[in-house]
Amino acid sequence: MNELIYGFVTGIIFGFLLQKGRVIRYDKQLGALRLIDMTIVKFMLSTILVAMVGVYLLKDLGLVKLSLKSTVLGGNIIGGLIFGIGWGFLGYCPGTSLGALGEGRWDAIWGIVGMLTGAALFAETYPFLKSTVLKWGDYGKITIPGILGVNHWVIIVLFIIGGISLFRWFEKRKL
Amino acid sequence: MEDSQELKGWSPYLAGALTGLLLVFSVWFTGKYVGASTTFVRSAGFIERVFDADRVANLEYFIKEAPKIDWQWMFVVGIFFGSLISAVTSKTFRWQAVPTMWDERFGPNRIKRAIAAFIGGTIAMFGARLADG
Repeated sequence: MNELIYGFVTGIIFGFLLQKGRVIRYDKQLGALRLIDMTIVKFMLSTILVAMVGVYLLKDLGLVKLSLKSTVLGGNIIGGLIFGIGWGFLGYCPGTSLGALGEGRWDAIWGIVGMLTGAALFAETYPFLKSTVLKWGDYGKITIPGILGVNHWVIIVLFIIGGISLFRWFEKRKL
Repeated sequence: MEDSQELKGWSPYLAGALTGLLLVFSVWFTGKYVGASTTFVRSAGFIERVFDADRVANLEYFIKEAPKIDWQWMFVVGIFFGSLISAVTSKTFRWQAVPTMWDERFGPNRIKRAIAAFIGGTIAMFGARLADG
C-alpha cells in the first residue's frame, strides 16, 4: 500500500514539473522533432545529467542498485524507429499523454486509447517477436563504462561536458 | 496568447534538473526507477480481461506484465493530477481538441486529429514495447 502512495506522490510531482517545464504540449514535442524548439531536449537532458550523477553517487555509497535493461539491438533499433513514427503522429509520449490531458489537451485521449491498443497488439505478437526481432543482437545487461572498461565517472564527466556544450549551442542559436 | 503562456512556465533547465532530483530520491527511498509504458500493457490487460479473461490469462506477455495496479500505475495516474494542479494554479489550463501547430498545418478538423492521434498512439506504444522502453 505504501508503495502505491509513493508511486502516486512521485507521479504528481513529476507531472507538476513537466507542466511547469512546458514540455507536455504537442507544439513543444513536434517542435523538437522538427528541430525548431529544443525545450524538451533541454528538460530531458537536464533530468538525465542530474539523475546520472545522483544515482551513481548513491550506488558508489552502496545505497542503491542500478536497474539495467538488456541491450537488444533488434528490439531497440526497430522499436525505436517505430516509436518515432508514432510519436510524430501523436505528439505525446506515453507518460506525457496523461499530463496533456491534465492541462486540458483532450486530443490526448485518442492517443491514450491508441496506446492501449498498441500494447494489446504487442501482447498478441510477442511470441513471434520473442523468437525473432528480440533475439537479434542481444548483448544482455551492459553499460557504456562496462564496455569501454573505464570508471563510470569518466563517462559521466564526458556526458556533462557534452550536455553543457549542447545547451550553450542551443542558447546561441535560440533554439 | 502563446506569449503570455510562455511567461508562466519555468526554465526547462530548472524543471528538468528538479525532475532529475525527484528521480534520484525515488531510487534512494523506494528503489523505483520511473517508467510509463508497462502501465499501458497492464491496463490493456485489465480492459481485455472484461471481454476474454481466458485469453489474457494465457497470453505470455500478460503473464509477464500481469494486469495489476502497482507503483508505476499509480505514478502514471499521478502525472495527470500533477499536471492538472500545475495548469490550474498557473491558469495555463486550456481545453483544446486540436493542438495549435497541428491546426496551422492540417486545419481545425477534430476527427482528422483524433484519427492521427489514435493511429500514432498505437504505433508509438508498439514500438516502445518492442524497444522495451
